[in-house]
Formats: sequence, structure tokens, C-alpha cells
Amino acid sequence: MRTAGGPVGEDDLQASVDGRLPPERAAIVEAYLAAYPEERERLSQYAEQRKALRAAFAISDEGTPKRLRVAHLLAERRRNRPGRLAQIAAAVLLLAVGGVGGWTAREFVPRLTSSASTILASTVFDDAIAAHRTFSVETRHPVEVGANEEAHLVQWLSKRLGRRLIAPDLSALGFQLMGGRLLPADSGPAALFMYENGKGTRLSCYYLSVDSAEETEFKYREENGISAFYWVDGGLAYAITANAPRKELLKIAELVYQQNSPDGAKPKEPPAPGKPS
Amino acid sequence: MIPGAPSESSAAARILAPSSRAALRLRGSCMSHGGAMPERAALIEAQIPRLRRFAYALLRGDRERADDLVQDTLERALSCWHLRRTEGNLRSWLYTILYNRFLSDQLRARRRGLHDALTEATELPGIAGGQEAALEHRDLLRAFSALPEEQQTVLLLIGVEDLSYEEAARVLGVPIGTVMSRLSRGRERLRQHMYGNLDDNSLRRNAALRRVK
Repeated sequence: MRTAGGPVGEDDLQASVDGRLPPERAAIVEAYLAAYPEERERLSQYAEQRKALRAAFAISDEGTPKRLRVAHLLAERRRNRPGRLAQIAAAVLLLAVGGVGGWTAREFVPRLTSSASTILASTVFDDAIAAHRTFSVETRHPVEVGANEEAHLVQWLSKRLGRRLIAPDLSALGFQLMGGRLLPADSGPAALFMYENGKGTRLSCYYLSVDSAEETEFKYREENGISAFYWVDGGLAYAITANAPRKELLKIAELVYQQNSPDGAKPKEPPAPGKPS
Repeated sequence: MIPGAPSESSAAARILAPSSRAALRLRGSCMSHGGAMPERAALIEAQIPRLRRFAYALLRGDRERADDLVQDTLERALSCWHLRRTEGNLRSWLYTILYNRFLSDQLRARRRGLHDALTEATELPGIAGGQEAALEHRDLLRAFSALPEEQQTVLLLIGVEDLSYEEAARVLGVPIGTVMSRLSRGRERLRQHMYGNLDDNSLRRNAALRRVK
């Protein structure tokens, strides 16, 4: 917040509605409101509105249902927890059978510990946003290899990351592939595909190979107008970054997620349209 | 690979099919079993009514789904207790978990094609119909649900849940300036809905004030 002597701003007025105005600002805000009675009126309407919302979303007094009681949840956890021995056995099994049979065992083995996964997310976010910030403003050399050599680009980056990558087709959302580049990251090489739409908005898809079978949820970060979605799936960490609002980026992230879904590579199963189990 | 209906549903199936809802909750859980349970239980228990209220508002009055969301949040909080930052407060930590869960549930729902049904609803039937002061609140809630979702969330966290601006920024993962501008825009828009027409002068002044900042 601003210093005691600064002019009254909208943040002060909002803070006064929430009762969060620092005491040293109170006098100056009061003087301002005395000079602008219609502003005082506006704030009192905000205060009324705040009160009405609180009333509309009042806490229900019906009590906490059993399924949400902590004691109940803890009891459930004890019941469902795989035993320590089972976890070790599963880990041994996973080591023994490797990638093929490991899939089943994987379900029982804790993957990346959550703190490691938080650190990974934060690193990938930082790197992907930094890369986007650096290369999306390049007019002449935003990419190392252009979209005219897409097959070569994808093959090259796949080889360096040790994973089969795809350059997602985002044309349905108006973004065309410009090309891509290889980037250094702490844990190995990372790949970046850059896209652009008709309005000149650039978008980057950042991939990093990770040593984990974990599948995480989408995480979101916003930083100085740049927003990014991150997730880990199938041995890759993904970060989709653009100077675009969350909603728009979400659609893009979903499309990238879908196109990277390994289901397309599996033997064809009878389709079950519209009926996800 | 062409995205189409079959591949979409199989993507959803890949997420949902191998695991029941219970197993879904376990995914990514922290698997920690240490710590003082009674203390943990009491601290978390005290927050449940507020979490339910927030979930209820986010999910537009769908009690069943709101309680599912709270249950997911609590399970996660219990298993990730050791990751709680001691300097941060428990309440905003729980809200953060809940809000992130909400976002990822929305994503899953979209992948299942339920998005329109779930988030484009313009009414809050559960709330409007379920409480005594229903009629008084109906207009307000209708106007509220017409706000952009990000403004609704800020108004809830700050106006209803009483989080500080810093806490709300942390929960949403956005800078505090973003929180302040969403708050200001949301309140003004709601005011115009509630008290009728635009006042050009005050709008101009607001714009000027924001520039001063």
C-alpha cells in the first residue's frame, strides 16, 4: 500500500469498505470523502452490498455432515492406507519389472513426493515464463528451427528430450506453429514450441522430461500479464505460456493436453462417444 | 492426432476410468501419516463451515458437489499437513487447496463436456430457493453470478470470507494489484446492477483514481 502522504486512490476506498484501511490513511480518506459526497455514497453502497453478500452466503447452521467430520475422514484413511510392507513390495516389483508391468504397481507406490513436485512445478513455471518472456518478443529470431521444417524440429527435440514429443496443432484456436528451440534446464534439455495467432499474440509450449510417472493436476500462475498453465503427465512436464487471459489459455492448455494424450497411440478401443465412464 | 469426440472422451476416461472417485482423491496425495492427529483434527474441523460456505458459493449452490469439494480439500489437507507452512495461516492454506481443487475439477468437467451445464448457469437456484431471505437475495445473487468468475471469487474471498488482500492474492496465485482491481471492478459492476444506471462522472473519476495508483 502507499505511504501515509500519498493521494487517495481506489485501493484506499476499497480498504475502507473492508475495514482494512491503515490508521495513518484514515484522516486523508475522510477528508477526501468530505469533499466528494457522491464518493461517500458510492462507498456506502459498496458496504451495503458487502453486507448483503455475507447474508446471502451465510454459513448454514445445519452442522457438519458426518462424511466431512475430520474423525471420519481419518478413520477412512486408516482403512484405505496401503501397508508399509505393501508399498515396499510394490516398489521392489516396480524396479524388477521395469516399464512394462510397472504400470500396475505404480498405482500403489507414492510417486514424486509432494514437496519435490512443488519444487518441480515452481522451477518449470520460472523457466517457461522466462523463456516466453525472452523469445516471444523476438521479431527476427523467435525460434531456432522454423515451422517449415516441422518434422525435423519435432524429431530433433524428441531425440534430445528422450520422449516422443508432438508440436500440438492449435489452428482450431487460431494459433499457427512458428517453430521451436532447445533450451537448457537444471535437469536436462527442455523444448519450446512457439505459436502465433493473427493478432500477433504469441504462445509457447514448454516441455521438460521428468523422471516420474506422476500425473498432476493443472496449476496456474500469472505474472505481469503473462499467464501459464502447468501439469505433469506421461513423463513430461508441460507449461503453456502466453500473454493471454486465463480463460483463453485454459482452452489452449486443454487442447494441448488432449493432443498429448497417449490414448491415440494405443490399439484402437471401441469408441464410447459421450459416455465417459 | 486429431482431437475429436472419441479422443476427448477417451482423454476423460483416462483420467476417470482407472480410478473411482475415492482413488482420484488419493492421486498426488502426500502419503504422510505422522503428526499430532488431535491437534490437526481440531484446527481443521473449526474451518469446515467456512470452507463449505466458500465451496457452496463457488459451485453456485450445488450442495452435493460443494461438499464433495470440501471433502477432497480436507482429505488433501490431512495428508499434506506436514507441507503446511507454519508462518502462513491455516485458513488461507485450506482456501488455496480448495480453490485449486475447484479449478482442476472444472477442467475435468470441461473435458467431460459438462462445462456448459456447470459453469454457464446464470442462476443460483440452491441458494435462492433454499433460504428464508431468498427473495431479498435473489436479485443480488443473480447480479453476482453475472460477474466474471474471477471477480466473483475475489468478492467472496474478501467480502464474505474476510481474507486479507495478501491472503486472497496467495490463494488465487495472482499479484495483489490484480486482486485490488478485480475487487474494485466487481463491486462497481454489482453496484450498477443493484442501484441502476451508470453515473458517468463517478466512472470517470474511478478511472482517474486508478491511474493515480
